[in-house]
Amino acid sequence: MRTIAKRWNPAKTVIYIFLIFITFISLYPIFFAFISSFKSTAEYTFSKTALPDQWIWSNYAYVFRNLKIARYMFNSALTVTVGMTLYIIVCNAAGFALGMLRFKYKLTIFSFILFFQIFPQMVIASQVYRICSKIGLMNSHLGLVLVWVAYFAPFGTYIMSTYYATIPRSLIESARIDGANVFQQLFKIMMPVAIPMVGTIAIVGSLAMWTELPFSLLLIQDPSLRPLSLGLAVLKGEHGIPIPTLSAAILVSAAIPLILYFFFQNKIHMGSTAGSVKG
Amino acid sequence: MLKKKMMIQQEQSDAYILLLPLLLLMVVFIVYPVLANFYYSLTTWKGFGTEIWVGLKNYRRVFHDDKFWYSLKNLGVLVLYIPIGIFIPLLIAAILREGLKGWMFFRSVIYLPTILGYVILGTLFSIILSQSGPLTEMLKMMGVEDANKINLLGQSRSAIHVVALLFVVFSKLGFGCIYFLAAMSSIDSSLYDAAAIDGAGWWQRFFSVTVPSISFSMQFFLVLSFIEVFARMYSFIYTLTYGGPGFATYTLEFGIYRQGFQAFKMGYASSWAVILFVFCSLIAALQINILKKGDQLK
Repeated sequence: MRTIAKRWNPAKTVIYIFLIFITFISLYPIFFAFISSFKSTAEYTFSKTALPDQWIWSNYAYVFRNLKIARYMFNSALTVTVGMTLYIIVCNAAGFALGMLRFKYKLTIFSFILFFQIFPQMVIASQVYRICSKIGLMNSHLGLVLVWVAYFAPFGTYIMSTYYATIPRSLIESARIDGANVFQQLFKIMMPVAIPMVGTIAIVGSLAMWTELPFSLLLIQDPSLRPLSLGLAVLKGEHGIPIPTLSAAILVSAAIPLILYFFFQNKIHMGSTAGSVKG
Repeated sequence: MLKKKMMIQQEQSDAYILLLPLLLLMVVFIVYPVLANFYYSLTTWKGFGTEIWVGLKNYRRVFHDDKFWYSLKNLGVLVLYIPIGIFIPLLIAAILREGLKGWMFFRSVIYLPTILGYVILGTLFSIILSQSGPLTEMLKMMGVEDANKINLLGQSRSAIHVVALLFVVFSKLGFGCIYFLAAMSSIDSSLYDAAAIDGAGWWQRFFSVTVPSISFSMQFFLVLSFIEVFARMYSFIYTLTYGGPGFATYTLEFGIYRQGFQAFKMGYASSWAVILFVFCSLIAALQINILKKGDQLK
């Protein structure tokens, strides 16, 4: 096999062309945004595909000065951090119960959770909107965070439960003998053991919240409270801004997910396959 | 004996305490909204003020609404692309798993669009594919005279197919590759050796060893693809086409948004939501079934 591979191999060439083509489409959108963000509007109108003649920073300056993007970033950072913390606690508590403990109606509850995690935001949106306006959670970051956790936690719970199912029961049995109550069991024994998976769902969950749109769009109407994804989604329509400026805004908001991806690639890959891969 | 019984009871109450936060949040923000939606679909309600009971009127209206039939047709087209959306990542994973030079690089790059999220992807593709976008310019440089007449997203005939290729095939590619790579890593390599001894070629091994060995994962991925199409597409449509041109890329999700939150016909939008609920319930039942069959729920 080795010696054959060294000769020119048409099949391999086709495979590489195919993979390079896919690489190109995967990278082009963000590459396009990158080069456009350094062009002046005049230059963009003249040439969309070439590299900038002169790399200018004014689009970024404009985005931060005039479009409140720093404000949006702060809102996202705040809501996602709080949301993620809550999400981790909720998913681990429920995942621990479903993955390890024995109790009545377990399968029913598990099926119930899986069933309700499937519905699109739009099926529940109008009622979520009504509930939030009734209990004063409209235009409130707390409201958004609670809705996010309710919406994303079922999936995280499922992932955690598959992990906890692989941990030997003897661990909690001995903890019980030592007199640890259920919260001590969860926070002192279970979560430390499950740390790799906790990290995984933390990243998967925070990416989901960082890029979430429908709930933010409906629940946050005060422009100064907007998270980044919402700020970005309304940018085009609301301001009719030029594409180089929009590109700068896109890169700013993609920066954090991209950095996360760069450092935690394996965790992200693990999270996307956890709990559902089997031969 | 008594002690053991107490332990069992203790474990039960522990489990319910642990489940409480999740169940509470779900009941308030998901289960109750899903149920209340049924009631509001029988009323006219503007999204504020009080609702007026109208019985099945909204449903009669749905079936005479072109937008509804457009949405169903579009979802049908999207579903037809799902087999391609499964086959291509499966193929790439099968290639990458043989340890091709640079496979880790390809795997990372292919997953990158998933990280960006639908808002950014939709916004960028709407620019890239627009009449005055870079694609037109590239085609012009290659000598295509009428490049700006192509306007892939602006023609009602091509728009939904472009959306399908981008959403069902392209945007799921990275996830699909990683997912299938993980599934393939558990295949017993002696199966391949046996096939090689039998003189099976690459495609024969692909179809007679790889595909059957990961059938659970393929079924699960199929269900996930349905979920994406019916229930996770809203942000992409919102930023890419806004349902247009005309109603050419409307979906049920997007229709609910437009009727309910833009036209303030929330009661009517709720009847769309009930119909979407039915579709999603079927998909959910299928998913739970597959997980049970695959012994993933215990």
